[in-house]
Amino acid sequence: MKRITHFYSLTPEWQHSFAKEMGGELIDNKIIVIPEDIGHGYSYFTQVTPGISVLYVDFVLDTPIKITRQKSDNELYIFHFDMSEHVNLIRINKIDYRIGTHEDLGLAIIDNKMKSTFKPAVGDRTLAVRLLVDKKLLDEFIKTHPSEEHGNRKISVPKKSLYYYDHIDSHSMLLIRSIKDRSVFDSSFESYLKGISLRLLGNFLDRYEHSQAVKDEITDVEIESVTKTQTYLLDNLYNPFPSVPFLSKMAGMSPSKYKMIFKKQFHNTPKNLFIEEKMILANRLLQSGDYKTLTEVIYELNYSKLSYFCSKYYELFHRKPADDLVKKKYNQKCITKSTLQ
Amino acid sequence: MKIIEHSFGPDLDWLPHYAEQLGGKIDGNFIIAPDNGIRYILPCGEGISAFYVDVTYNSDFHKIQKNRDTDFIGLYYNLTDGEATLTARDFMYNVSRWHYNLSVIDGLINTDYVVKSGSRTYGLAIFIKKSIIESYAKKENIVINQIEEITNPEKNTIIRFDRMSYDSYYILEELHKQKVGGPIFDFNLAGTVHLLISNYLRKLSTNKIILQTVNQTDLNNIILIQKYLIEHAEETFPSIKQMADMANMSESKFKILFRKITGSTPNVFFMENKLIKAKELLEEKQYSISQISDKFHFTNNSYFTSKFKEYYGLSPKIFIKHL
Repeated sequence: MKRITHFYSLTPEWQHSFAKEMGGELIDNKIIVIPEDIGHGYSYFTQVTPGISVLYVDFVLDTPIKITRQKSDNELYIFHFDMSEHVNLIRINKIDYRIGTHEDLGLAIIDNKMKSTFKPAVGDRTLAVRLLVDKKLLDEFIKTHPSEEHGNRKISVPKKSLYYYDHIDSHSMLLIRSIKDRSVFDSSFESYLKGISLRLLGNFLDRYEHSQAVKDEITDVEIESVTKTQTYLLDNLYNPFPSVPFLSKMAGMSPSKYKMIFKKQFHNTPKNLFIEEKMILANRLLQSGDYKTLTEVIYELNYSKLSYFCSKYYELFHRKPADDLVKKKYNQKCITKSTLQ
Repeated sequence: MKIIEHSFGPDLDWLPHYAEQLGGKIDGNFIIAPDNGIRYILPCGEGISAFYVDVTYNSDFHKIQKNRDTDFIGLYYNLTDGEATLTARDFMYNVSRWHYNLSVIDGLINTDYVVKSGSRTYGLAIFIKKSIIESYAKKENIVINQIEEITNPEKNTIIRFDRMSYDSYYILEELHKQKVGGPIFDFNLAGTVHLLISNYLRKLSTNKIILQTVNQTDLNNIILIQKYLIEHAEETFPSIKQMADMANMSESKFKILFRKITGSTPNVFFMENKLIKAKELLEEKQYSISQISDKFHFTNNSYFTSKFKEYYGLSPKIFIKHL
């Protein structure tokens, strides 16, 4: 196994010793061609802006190598985006972290102060983008975006060796994929890589800022169809409850999903909401003075048992329905007469 | 009609004068103008600056560009819905979304830009120092003189009207979705600028066709078809015959010209466009994968999935999961 040690800096100087040790050819202070005895492929390094540099690697190894990065005094965060379709290992503090899209964990953020070892797999294409970012730049960002989550976020805990270890989000994945097809020797490559790097960082910060905001989302379509069933319920208060399977069919979803979304949306189950609305209607009917007895009211509302109705009514209003009943008067004629006068 | 006279350039010394002409003021990277549009300036380092514009014009607007500093080249990506024309010397071009939406103009040339009332302009202007483009051109052996001879025989200045590549078009549309301002936007804007420059340089070195030499009517017809395909992305692919009829061309001529102007065949273009729209819908998380596949008239889900994977390199399911 070949061992290579190196260090990082924002400026391209570090590549000289690295290329020399590996036996690779350094072109234009940017591209290192990996020597034939190790494998084939390239790395590409460039400064994006003051404070941000990017290293792009794309190679297939024939013999196993261990690339050890020595800690250095440069205050840097290293964003390692790994798009290889197999597992690579990053060893920090004697713990191996598996990285690659295959593992669903493609993004690691490492502090430049910690020593780390990168062990790419042999025989498969390794594709990774490493962003070297000046700590000051990100600290500034964190300061200008104070939010309570930062206490829990891994990135603000300086003692941990690995700040962030997660999957790469889809947008970034597409960005990195789009470089894959370009040749490093193409002269439009540099500005493309710079663009990708900045967008990656933008994506990351965006995600980092909104990391806590992820919630169980209900789509507008679902809300709309559930609201439709609710309106249906309210329009049919005089009928018996139409059953959840019927309603869920109307909303075009499974009964369990329907119940879940209904509850999220209206903070009540369909049946309960229906009964509550029915009781409010009952209350109105009782006080309207159009009915002689309670039985008349409950028949109107499609109840067959008075005791059941009474118990439900009591549950909601803590009163008996009989107390609220305003009986229908017989001397209707007198009333009409008086109103006529 | 409102008329202003201004100057552009990678060094931002023109800013105060420009803001004053608009009747607005500079606030950080923004220019706050009375028309409530968004105008955002960002220096991207190394002699490159970007000017982001998203404005709806309430009255006709006439901008006369006379640059004080002429040592730059401007790339104007212009996605105006409405009518916008650019006049310089003895020619006039329509530079809105469905016309020449990318103009490359030497700082030496004075131009007149006229936007009609009611137009909505979304655009990005990139100002690059000439030395950067020249060093690139030398490296790639592009003889700029030769390309530009057609447009301007007497002086060695660059002026070119073109259509941006579809790739660039979507990079810009993606930027448009972002909230303007703040460090995240700055990263994205600077990133976008670099990507656009890269795409343009790539196009310069690979694509030798000069759009201005294509017959004007033919060009308009092809763009109309392109527009038709974009607007009807949800439907099934119209036949080549139907499209050729719409464009008043023979089928073979249509196919060849379409390929020349857009860079891909009608079917490939249509499919890419479908997938891009499908991806946007997936991002909104309002529809399931099968709903989207039905919506875009894919024969079945697995065909959609395989096409999606072919184009983006990851399946729609993983795409949603990792959003």
